[in-house]
Amino acid sequence: MIIIEPGSHLRAREASLFERSESPKETKQGNIPKIQGSQAPHLSSPHPPLRSLRRSRYTSRNNQHIQMKHILKIMALVVAISAIWISLLETSVIPRSYTWLLPVYLIMSLGCYGLLMVGVGLMLFPTCPQEAVLLQKDIGEAKEFLKGKGVDVGSD
Amino acid sequence: MELADKAVGCFLSAISLTIFIYYTFWVIILPFVESDHFIHGYFLPQEFAILIPVFAGVALLSILCVFVGYVMLKSKAKKKKQT
Repeated sequence: MIIIEPGSHLRAREASLFERSESPKETKQGNIPKIQGSQAPHLSSPHPPLRSLRRSRYTSRNNQHIQMKHILKIMALVVAISAIWISLLETSVIPRSYTWLLPVYLIMSLGCYGLLMVGVGLMLFPTCPQEAVLLQKDIGEAKEFLKGKGVDVGSD
Repeated sequence: MELADKAVGCFLSAISLTIFIYYTFWVIILPFVESDHFIHGYFLPQEFAILIPVFAGVALLSILCVFVGYVMLKSKAKKKKQT
């Protein structure tokens, strides 16, 4: 009996599309069994399991350091801005009725900035129509192949 | 499909830019304009500049909490039905 991991040929195709396949999720699989025979001619080789596993552990530890420094930077910025604002209030440069204006304004502008980034990202999203067509063809071939081997593929 | 995405993205960024410009004008520029300028008619009084974002933030947080609670209850009911 041939043990076929569902979607393994698609993952191999993904590996050829995105060269930096360092995500820890993909490397958990270990040895992906090759589909035997000549039924899948356009497959690339399966994942190199051990090398990318070692690399993913190193990058995740590095990631934690980078996240810590980032948080410290953000907190320092917040403390500095609040210090400036409170000093301005205390020395009566700005009347007390304006106390809440700056924090609310900063939060509002942060929300607006996030929304703007989402909108801009949506507008500039890169789609690959040729790859989409090829992917659909791959899915069709895989479904036929599996049906021929007697494996139950889901309904369309 | 890409056109729908682009339209939604354009709409979102337009809304965010409008809100940002209006709010900046309201909070930062308007206090330095004399009281009897015509532009004051287009902006609500200054107390609303704080009330409206705070109100919207509180509403957003409460909607999020309600949604999270609803999802948790639904998953618990599903688990009870399975076992």
